[in-house]
Amino acid sequence: MATEVKLPRLGQGMESGTIVRWLKTEGDAVSKGEPLYELDTDKVTQEVEADSDGVLLKIVISDGEVDVGTTVGIIGAQDEDVSALLADAQGGNGDAPAAAASEAPTAEDATPPQAEQQPAPPPSDTESQAEPSDTESQAEPSAPSEATEAPPARAEGERVKASPLARRIARERGVDLSLISGTGPEGRVIAEDVEKAAVQPAAPSAPAAAPEFEVVELTSTRKTIARRLTEAWQAPVFQLTVTADATELVATRERMVELMRESDTKPTVSDVLTRLVASALVRHPPVNANFVDGKLHRFSAANVGLAVAAPAGLVVPVIRDADRKSVQQIAADRADIVSRARDGKLALVDLEGGTFTISNLGMYGIEQFIAVLNPPQVAILAVGSIEDRPTAIDGEFAIVPTMAMTLTCDHRAIDGSEGAEFLRGVKAYVESPALAL
Amino acid sequence: MATVEERAESGGRGVSEAMLRGFFREMLLIRRFEEKVEDRFRAGELPGFLHVAIGQEATATGVCAALAREDVIASTHRAHGHAIAKGTPVERIMAELYGKVEGCSKGYGGSMHLYDVEVGNLGANAVVGGGLPGIVGAALAFKMRGEKRVAVAFFGDGATNTGTFHESMNLAQLWTVPAIFVLENNGWAESTPASQQLPLPVEELGKRAAAYGMKLIEADGQDVEAVYLATLAAREHALAGKGPVLLHLRTHRLTGHFVGDPQVYRDKDELKEERETKDPIRLLGARLEIGEDEFSTIDGELTAEVEAAVEFAKAGTDPKPEDALKYVYA
Amino acid sequence: MPELTYREAVRDALGKALREDDSVFIMGEDIAEMGGSMAVTQGLLDEFGPTRVRNTPISEMAIVGSGIGAAIQGMRPIVEIMYEDFLTISMEQLVNQAAKHRTMSGGQISVPLTIRTQGGAGWSPGAQHAQQLEAWFVHVPGLKVVFASTPEDARGLLWSAIYDDNPTVFFEHRTLYSIKGEVSDELQPIPLGKARIHREGSDVTVVATGRLVHESLQAAEEAEKDGISVEVVDPRTLLPLDEQTIVESVKKTARCVTAHEAVTRGGFGAELAAVIQHAAFDWLDAPIERVGAAFAPLAFAPGMEQWAVPHADDVLEAIRRTVARG
Repeated sequence: MATEVKLPRLGQGMESGTIVRWLKTEGDAVSKGEPLYELDTDKVTQEVEADSDGVLLKIVISDGEVDVGTTVGIIGAQDEDVSALLADAQGGNGDAPAAAASEAPTAEDATPPQAEQQPAPPPSDTESQAEPSDTESQAEPSAPSEATEAPPARAEGERVKASPLARRIARERGVDLSLISGTGPEGRVIAEDVEKAAVQPAAPSAPAAAPEFEVVELTSTRKTIARRLTEAWQAPVFQLTVTADATELVATRERMVELMRESDTKPTVSDVLTRLVASALVRHPPVNANFVDGKLHRFSAANVGLAVAAPAGLVVPVIRDADRKSVQQIAADRADIVSRARDGKLALVDLEGGTFTISNLGMYGIEQFIAVLNPPQVAILAVGSIEDRPTAIDGEFAIVPTMAMTLTCDHRAIDGSEGAEFLRGVKAYVESPALAL
Repeated sequence: MATVEERAESGGRGVSEAMLRGFFREMLLIRRFEEKVEDRFRAGELPGFLHVAIGQEATATGVCAALAREDVIASTHRAHGHAIAKGTPVERIMAELYGKVEGCSKGYGGSMHLYDVEVGNLGANAVVGGGLPGIVGAALAFKMRGEKRVAVAFFGDGATNTGTFHESMNLAQLWTVPAIFVLENNGWAESTPASQQLPLPVEELGKRAAAYGMKLIEADGQDVEAVYLATLAAREHALAGKGPVLLHLRTHRLTGHFVGDPQVYRDKDELKEERETKDPIRLLGARLEIGEDEFSTIDGELTAEVEAAVEFAKAGTDPKPEDALKYVYA
Repeated sequence: MPELTYREAVRDALGKALREDDSVFIMGEDIAEMGGSMAVTQGLLDEFGPTRVRNTPISEMAIVGSGIGAAIQGMRPIVEIMYEDFLTISMEQLVNQAAKHRTMSGGQISVPLTIRTQGGAGWSPGAQHAQQLEAWFVHVPGLKVVFASTPEDARGLLWSAIYDDNPTVFFEHRTLYSIKGEVSDELQPIPLGKARIHREGSDVTVVATGRLVHESLQAAEEAEKDGISVEVVDPRTLLPLDEQTIVESVKKTARCVTAHEAVTRGGFGAELAAVIQHAAFDWLDAPIERVGAAFAPLAFAPGMEQWAVPHADDVLEAIRRTVARG
């Protein structure tokens, strides 16, 4: 009996992936677990393994972007007639995403493993992803089967639901539907949503002066960034800024470097900061949280995401349990994930489960900036450069290295005072790292 | 089977030998036409579903000869003979069977839907019993307008078991319209013999007229002269305002239901005997003492006429496929 | 402008045709002395006599079939089939004969026959006297299908049906016979294949037929109170269909509800939805909603009957679904 190879959902937020190439050709024998094709998801490129034994009878989709749940190939016995299955698959492919969407895992799925109320969480199901506001009536029916079914069976992507009219307007005005959150039934994007989103200037009546431009297709990572950050933009946020004296921070880091063995990765200021922030996080639970479907998930451990500029776009690999790791360990972890991020070799597990994010642009000389929230996390810290600046100390000017830190908070989850307390804590640790121990 | 009484009803008119020779010629033309149709069908030249009426030529010729050109007929799926006898040239019928624009239905009808309104053929009908109610309506129109015309429905013994037969007989008699119901009783409903489809002995099927108080006229359907005279009588009855007539003609289908029918349901010896004793053309030829030479001459002419019809049809124009939509609405 | 009931409007068209044209005659069960089971043909026997106002036996095949035969001979018969449930008995004549003669003959014959019939629920007749079968006939090339919902439409459309050279099935709705409506002084023929916009609106188009036109207008009033602007369109002729008017309306409103009393499944609304989604796909901002009867033979008990067939509130709910959020 032939089976369809369907594009699996490899992470919580994954809706589609791009098949880069097949590692097998039609007619090849494959065994379960053997790599079948290379898939570029919105986060990583990875090899997808066969989940059954047999012969790869048909490659239905050889490359390009494919929705989760779509049949991309068929594995069966040698010479098996798969025409019916193929017809089904091709007929059914159109429906698959829609069907999947209505069953899309919702609030419960997004709950990270640390959450106490999660009954039987899949091990790595904590990818930070703001779900469009699924209603309870949808979430509830899917919950019982959640508990009994194996995770892959539920691993369906969610396509953008949009009315034909909304799609047409989006097409005509060059609006990316995936960036729009719909107000129609079940989150469907309707015409009005696109109209509101399309703050496009009217097309000039004389097209003669159109400047030349290069069209750059978005990579899937770029698309995800675009979608996720647009979602983030809808959260009501506020920012808090402090400037900390970085003398001790810099000194601490230098002492550590001195004490290092040659083989060890040298810690950076950021590594130390990561450790300090992690300590502050576990002491300020309101900030170490995710906002999911109208509920707060507060975490006991600090999984700190680091914004890393990778060639395909921004990625945020996570250093787990940063509050319980040594700076040395954090440095080693960071070195590993950053290098893999730059090589495009991150695994999904590296990207999932963040409870907080640090974005540091200090190395570019940026003194201060505001970071955009990384949903469902409720806060993100933007760290500027450490510069020697004139500072008043005890009524006198002194030149000290200072560092500005701006905390962006989701006001739905965090009040100003809670954010302020956390940030004050961070500042205290930066200025006296020993307090963090 | 034509009774003395029925002959008397013909007004004492005899049928001249010249007229009978004309009947012979037309019946043989129908026979040669249908044999050619079978032949061309087997050769794969003709599309569709074909039913020939070999053995039933006398009913077609005898009935239509008694009708005026302005009288109308509704035919059945076994239609070639009726169409020829009502006056449509064989080349136009043949062209229809080839699906050509020159066909009597311009290629829209085929063997089971031969129409020629100009000569009063309102169309052959592929639904058994389907044409009967329309004939009642045509007759009603004639009556309402005071026109001296009759409307004639051909149908078989099988059709007498359909609802339309009973409703039409009933309504026609109720309204005394000038309709003639021509029952070509060959004793077969496709492959089902009379014994399995008729509660009456096959010879007594005419009794159904009595249920509606309708005039019954019966004749031997293999005797063209009897058919002719009976039809004249029926027509006179109808035109006299006395109401419709059931014209019961016992006939014999000497072939299968359709071209290619292996007739597994039929006794081969019986069929052979029927072919020898019931062939209306052979019977009339014997009566007219048509010798071998004379027969060859006539046959040669008719065979040539049919050949010419095939040539005409083959040279005809194929309709444009998209013209399939042309006559959906008036 | 004078007012006529729907019943009087139908009668008016019949009377005028009988009066002006010798080729017109009417026949059907109980239409003469009794004046028809819905009293539509009352008085016509007295004026035109039994030759042209003909009672028939209970023989639906022969009624339609003889109408066909007379029509082919140049008459313009109008036959009445007492209930559209009984139209099923004459299906063979309608579908195989009336609809096909013209094509089968290569255009030699036309069948200018009008078949009047009526149906509809709301009076607990049970399952065999209230069906709405118009969709069956829309599926048959060669037929025309009309479903009138107002007195003015009934009169003007029936006239056009009588003088159309094609077999036309003319549906009347039992519960509409008593409604009154303004009509023009003189009968104004209404061309077949032309929809009527009963009410203009900008948010949702309701395409309704028969009784549901009135239910939809009521629903539109209610919706208006919620600020939903509803356009109500009655195709009036289901075959041929005025696709242009309907599609233009939906392009304007971007939302559509179809509404008829017939069961939803395979109903005329399905055809409308198919036409609309194809012609106005890029204009649709919500799924097309269909309103129709529950998929069951109509039950007798009044409560069950009322539940099964659609009313204004069903149309209103459907309207709301098309504009729903979240």
